[in-house]
Amino acid sequence: MAERTPDTTAGAATRRPAGDAPGLAVRNLSKTFPGMRALRDVSFDVGRGEIHALLGGNGSGKSTLIKVLAGVHQGDPGGTVAVGGQRVESDAITPTWAQAAGIAFVHQDLGLFAPQTVAENLFCGQPYPRRLGRIDWRALRADARATLERLHVAVDPDTLVGDLRPADATLVAIARALRGRDDVHGGLLVLDEPTARLPQAQVDELLAALTRYAAAGQSILYVSHRLDEVLSFAHRVTVLRDGELVESRAVAGLEQAALARTIVGRAIAQAPSRPTRATEGEAPVLELRGVAGGPLAGVDLALAPREVVGVAGLVGSGRTSLLENVFGVRRPTAGEVLLEGRPLPPGDIAGAIARGLAYVPEDRARASAFGNLGLPENLSAADPAAYQVGGWFRQARERSDAVRAIADYAIRTPAVDARLAQLSGGNQQKVIVARWLRREPKALLLDEPTQGVDVGARAEIYAQIDAAVAQGAAVLLVSSDLEELLHLADRVVVLARGRVAATGTREQVDREWLIDHVYETSQEETRS
Amino acid sequence: MNTTDVIEPADAGRASAGSLPPSSQAGDRGAEASTGRRVIATLERYALVLLLILLVIVFSVLPATSDTFPTLANLRNIAANESVVAIAALGALVPLVAHQFDVSVGATLGLAAIAAAELTTRGGFALAPALLVGALVGLAIGTVNGTLIARFGANSLVITLGMATLVGGIGAWWSRNDTILGVPEWLTTFGNTNWLGVPKPVWLLIAVALLVTYLLRFTVFGRQLLSIGSNPEAARLVGMPVTRCVLIAFAISGAIAAVAGLLLLARTGGATAGVGDGYTLPALAAVFLGSTTIRPGRFTVAGTLVGVFFVAVSVNGLTLAGAADWVEPVFNGAAVVIAVTASAILVRRRGGTQS
Repeated sequence: MAERTPDTTAGAATRRPAGDAPGLAVRNLSKTFPGMRALRDVSFDVGRGEIHALLGGNGSGKSTLIKVLAGVHQGDPGGTVAVGGQRVESDAITPTWAQAAGIAFVHQDLGLFAPQTVAENLFCGQPYPRRLGRIDWRALRADARATLERLHVAVDPDTLVGDLRPADATLVAIARALRGRDDVHGGLLVLDEPTARLPQAQVDELLAALTRYAAAGQSILYVSHRLDEVLSFAHRVTVLRDGELVESRAVAGLEQAALARTIVGRAIAQAPSRPTRATEGEAPVLELRGVAGGPLAGVDLALAPREVVGVAGLVGSGRTSLLENVFGVRRPTAGEVLLEGRPLPPGDIAGAIARGLAYVPEDRARASAFGNLGLPENLSAADPAAYQVGGWFRQARERSDAVRAIADYAIRTPAVDARLAQLSGGNQQKVIVARWLRREPKALLLDEPTQGVDVGARAEIYAQIDAAVAQGAAVLLVSSDLEELLHLADRVVVLARGRVAATGTREQVDREWLIDHVYETSQEETRS
Repeated sequence: MNTTDVIEPADAGRASAGSLPPSSQAGDRGAEASTGRRVIATLERYALVLLLILLVIVFSVLPATSDTFPTLANLRNIAANESVVAIAALGALVPLVAHQFDVSVGATLGLAAIAAAELTTRGGFALAPALLVGALVGLAIGTVNGTLIARFGANSLVITLGMATLVGGIGAWWSRNDTILGVPEWLTTFGNTNWLGVPKPVWLLIAVALLVTYLLRFTVFGRQLLSIGSNPEAARLVGMPVTRCVLIAFAISGAIAAVAGLLLLARTGGATAGVGDGYTLPALAAVFLGSTTIRPGRFTVAGTLVGVFFVAVSVNGLTLAGAADWVEPVFNGAAVVIAVTASAILVRRRGGTQS
């Protein structure tokens, strides 16, 4: 096998210096789990200095591929992986080899320690410099500063990580992964959804930094669901579906719709150009009058029946607080919320639900998923009392309702009684939305409903939202995905400094309008 | 397998976007994978039950115990004795479903026994009101535990540990550190006679087990506890009364522990300070052992009963085989450590992330 050399000209990116070993060469990589082939004969290259996007729906094999590279899973015999000229059989990769070969990983949750300083985080898991048996804090800080400077991260090493802006925290995590290398941009940097949790302004900032690293020779493999971002910033894309490589090509000449089709394997529904569904003059379903509390400084808003109102704004503008104050998670310090003309009791979640409110929070694992419980339990969680008939909890009825919901909402699950955690992220989210839809809510509050969800599941969640609207619900949708706002909202409000800073109807709002208003207001903020 | 020297360029010959065959095998993967897994899962579910049956068979044929173990008298004795531990375990089970520890069940059952014994002997109470007061003592302790934990968010393990020590002290004061004897004969008769060939304490255990099963499986309250145990924040955000549920769970635990204490009084005819403490660990061991079986990863009534009798049969058989006294604490301790570890592994695997 030793004579086998990876063909470095394969899919050559023009930017790559000729004759250089590729950043990553994967050949004939397969991975079989008991009873399931997660990867099948995958081969692709990441050139040196190339930004390479790894795309695919949930369950396509992206995570498995990354775990094989990390040595967490061993690949099937027969494949090889080469990093910068170091080649290894795919069943022989260990975490130690991955580290020695120069593969650095930054996971979606970053793995930083918020209460510690940037310098402490950079040295986390590695020996601190010592002098006379004690930690040499001065050397630690100097080393940290040097690392940050080499990567052009404008952050003070003494700052607490918890105080960093999300984009800076991501850069610190990258700096930690790359620290201690002789050639800071040698090897391969693997990023899992680095932009999923960033507001748009900081996405551009992070991508600019990554582009700079790539220009300095850093090979980057990154996983993302944001296609517009991939198209504008990556050099090449590799698409996996059902464990097989579908396509690996240069980004140039690729269109978003075509790319989405490649990922999904079928055309996804285009944004319907439909008229505003809400009828003029109808009494509002949900009304906010001067709601204040936390970052909110007095918000007035009224939602008509069947109206979808999108909420845009930078992080810290009060988007999540707005939903929490409406739903009763927080008690507003001033103002009131009315549902169908009657005020909601402040700070009373159960009361709000009883009146017909529904809330899908942003952080699924923390705030909405019962991961170790089955689908029937998860689906009935918002109204278990409906199954208590004559003193007995009717589990059979609960289960048959679950079977129906699984069919109605195209939830893909190994079994009706499967634990929620066994499902892919997108399907978990469908379960959470379905939990509320079966109550036929009068107002549906959604916080980033499709974050980290693949393209196919996203379309199905949109269909769920449409179904709620068809039932007569008003929807208040917080999203940092501009495409999503444009796709779903009849009207978009932009929050800034805790107030509604701009409102645009479906006809007025487009990408530029959104970007203009979200950023203009934030500039005013810095001026004031 | 492709072993050629020249490896195809990764993107050569690949179909371009739009002309791809639709995916076909996405759906049947799960079915393939689960065949082998299902066998393992079934074994896992009934491992402890099979082990219990195996133990009974072994002690029945083993020469050292075949004369003494499989006798009606011995089996009735095990069942009646273990009813006390089992009822205490069913009490602790209720808050554990919501992932809250109650390590005061032993002390609570001890104080309930002392209360009833003290009131019927030196207090001049009739039996029924004395038993009622005993039960109310347990309910009160549980309510205090529940209030501190649910309302103020205090750590359940530490609060109930402190409460156990405090309650033990009150017991020593109330009983004047003496064994209280002379409880009404009706009570001791109940503790030591059979009905339909089954010891009366076992009938009480069956009643409590049915009650707890009903609470946990057939009421909204039970579902709410389960949800709180899975994800308390998510439970709050779907409008569940988390504080109230946890408070009530501890109150129920205290009341059921008190019933166990009254049964202990009926079995032994006397109450002594400190006697209850020995019941906490076996009770919790049984609940955790039970969470490894029948519905692995969940705390259940059936599992708890299997757990109680698994430990009891083991210790009884070993004792009859001539093992020394120290075998019992070693066995109980080992059961806790192993059961909690196994239970933690199961929980982690079930809440774990998918790839």
